[in-house]
Amino acid sequence: MPLTPYAPKLTPEDAAHLLRRTSFGASDAQIRALAGKDARAAARGLLNFTDARAPGNPFDPMQGATPGAGIQLTRGAWLFEMMYGPHPLREKLALTWSNHFVIGTDKVRNIPMLAAYLNLLRRHAAAPDFARFALEVAQSPAMLRYLDNDQNRKGKPNENFSRELLELFTTGIGHYTEDDVREGARALTGWTFEGGRGNQKYLEEPRFVFRANQHDTGRKTYLGHSGNLSGEDVVRLAATHPQTAVFVSRKLHRAFVRDTPDEGAVAASAETFRRTNGNIRAVLEELLSSTHFYAPENRAAVIRSPVEFIVGAVRTLGQPKLETKQMLNLAQTAGKMGQLLLQPDTVKGWDGGREWINDSTLLTRMQVAAALTLGGQAPKLEQQPTPLALLGTERSLLRAALDGLAPKQRTYLTLISPEFQLA
Amino acid sequence: MSPTRREFLKYSALAVAATSGMPGFLARAATQAAGSGNTKTLVVIQLTGGNDGLNTLIPYSNGAYYAARPNIAIPKKDVLTLTPDLGMHPALKPLMGLWDGGHLAWMENVGYPNPNRSHFASMAIWHTADPTQAQAEGWIGRIAEKIGDPFCASNLGGTTPQALRAADFSLPSIDGVDNFQVKLPAGLDAAFGTMLNTSRAGEAAYLQQATRQMLTNTRRVQQNVGKYRTGATYPEGKFAAQLRDAARLIAAGTGQRVLYITLGNFDTHAGQRAEQDELLGQLAAGLAAFQADLEAQGLADRVLVMGFSEFGRRVAENASAGTDHGQGSVMFALGRGVKGGIHGDSPDLENLSLGDIRYKQDFRGVYAGALSRWLGLDARGILGGDFAGPGWVA
Repeated sequence: MPLTPYAPKLTPEDAAHLLRRTSFGASDAQIRALAGKDARAAARGLLNFTDARAPGNPFDPMQGATPGAGIQLTRGAWLFEMMYGPHPLREKLALTWSNHFVIGTDKVRNIPMLAAYLNLLRRHAAAPDFARFALEVAQSPAMLRYLDNDQNRKGKPNENFSRELLELFTTGIGHYTEDDVREGARALTGWTFEGGRGNQKYLEEPRFVFRANQHDTGRKTYLGHSGNLSGEDVVRLAATHPQTAVFVSRKLHRAFVRDTPDEGAVAASAETFRRTNGNIRAVLEELLSSTHFYAPENRAAVIRSPVEFIVGAVRTLGQPKLETKQMLNLAQTAGKMGQLLLQPDTVKGWDGGREWINDSTLLTRMQVAAALTLGGQAPKLEQQPTPLALLGTERSLLRAALDGLAPKQRTYLTLISPEFQLA
Repeated sequence: MSPTRREFLKYSALAVAATSGMPGFLARAATQAAGSGNTKTLVVIQLTGGNDGLNTLIPYSNGAYYAARPNIAIPKKDVLTLTPDLGMHPALKPLMGLWDGGHLAWMENVGYPNPNRSHFASMAIWHTADPTQAQAEGWIGRIAEKIGDPFCASNLGGTTPQALRAADFSLPSIDGVDNFQVKLPAGLDAAFGTMLNTSRAGEAAYLQQATRQMLTNTRRVQQNVGKYRTGATYPEGKFAAQLRDAARLIAAGTGQRVLYITLGNFDTHAGQRAEQDELLGQLAAGLAAFQADLEAQGLADRVLVMGFSEFGRRVAENASAGTDHGQGSVMFALGRGVKGGIHGDSPDLENLSLGDIRYKQDFRGVYAGALSRWLGLDARGILGGDFAGPGWVA
């Protein structure tokens, strides 16, 4: 059964909840503009994004004088897009997918490769065909490099990508065998890329190539299907496996509903995923306008990741202009808090939830909040955000604590409160 | 220390003591005096990504090893000979002094039943000490519950591994001792206290508790770390810096019984020699400096290091001059508290399981040695069973 649609018109608190989840957060004006709308129309409006970018992005990764500098600029450019771009949900989804189809800058150090990967995540962020998305990721030079399929040749298998395709990108553990991993690797032989290899060519654009002479054309059996399977066949079989619908839906519930998803609701989304042949937009539109999404127990149920905390603070403050150096620092600081963009610790990605919280990360969140509100480089605001924008609620729980403080101090203390850490 | 800061610390101490809704073991700890008779510390080193045990402790007399690895085997002439059959990777040279002194132990063919080649499933098994993957708590989290002190184990690094997860809480992560302190802007102490003590439910209550615990932990560390004067020169890099922080915490007597440090990037599917050589070099140089520091501080009798990785790698190299995920591997331990030498047989390269070394020693037996013989704890209660292990703790 699909999720039940949420019937009421959005209250200001409903609108704040929706924007905290889909746009990292929002100013009072943005929340008020959404209040009174129909839930389905609001979700559809947010999902209806184009490929328009934030104007005036000061970071150009191609200007990096070394691979490392190009990577830093890539992070800065992405953070800028999240903070100031016209389609925060597209960026939130790109961030979510970067934590699903994981690659890492420890191995992927070619700048056009990173740009192509990131644009791929944006293009398919809410695309109607998950299998197509998976195929394009599998053939992206960034993924070929990161999981070594560029070295997977006939008779000389490299199983890295084949394994993670099943374990982390599609069905999840428990729905495939070691033989599927081995057979999948055979089918994926010959997929590689040319150009852009080595430290010297970090600005050269690589492209996917299929080397037929390195491909194993023999018969394979994969996920119960036998035949002369190609790499395309294997990715499609994995991406359209019934369990993939559950695995991917659970990821979306983690990102948008709660850190500990309700399996009944996940099953409902999975059913929609299967019925629509992997239409991510359909799944999201239903989810973001459901009673489940707006249920009281699912509010303030997601611990903001470091990037969500930083971008959320900037968007809540009304997107004040930050210095370029400060933005690069913030990208690094997010790394210190456990979320360096495009560099999760492992191919599994960030577990998130309570994993984001420990003594050191809490201390760093306090420092970031101070820098954005009280520090010498703090942006000047015409007005401080209200509790609705900061906390998603009109009746502030924190009133007693904040009484008598200057407006900037109130904002600072709210940013370090448990409530602001939650979306 | 400014008067304001002193008041703030006093205040936060009260706030923590007055807490409600704390998990049981934290509440017990809040009323319990810190410190017990046993002052020994276990330092756990995690090599993330599946370190290739065969190129770490090398069966250099075995022709099958060289046959399986034409490109990436360590040439016999480069091996640091330990026994007539086994020797160390040349990058481990900084540890030779410890070996010669009888303070370095290798455990051979360590693993667990029904090996899982997933990094994450396998790591979770090592973290929870539960090959059925039924438990969410980590084995070190269970130590903390047993001792009743949430500060008795800490991770050094940014994110807390599952090994340090307790029923309702993660144990502290200290990402740099110097930064591990609360600096509240002037004039906000009282308001911060009120904000923090507002009554909450759900995830907000979890975050509230985590913040309170952080205030206690930072205070405990900062009150003590000034006592440390370094006794060795550490190499550059994060891993060595974390080992130095471990030495500082131990010297400061902050009371941790277990410290946890991670060194990553051992997933060497391609071009293994360059990558693993570099990592083993970092490992050895860092540990040698750490040990020298402890010796200089007069603390070497109190500290034992135990290292592991989630699995070893396949015996045969792959076509990318790397190795794919395998099963059994080596563990190591060092310090004055270990019984130096090789514990276990050389790997049997003629009798493989799907191309991998079969495990012969259960890692929980190795843990049991650290728990019962070093930390003086009831290993059975923590591991959920009796596991015989090599007698690696002196």
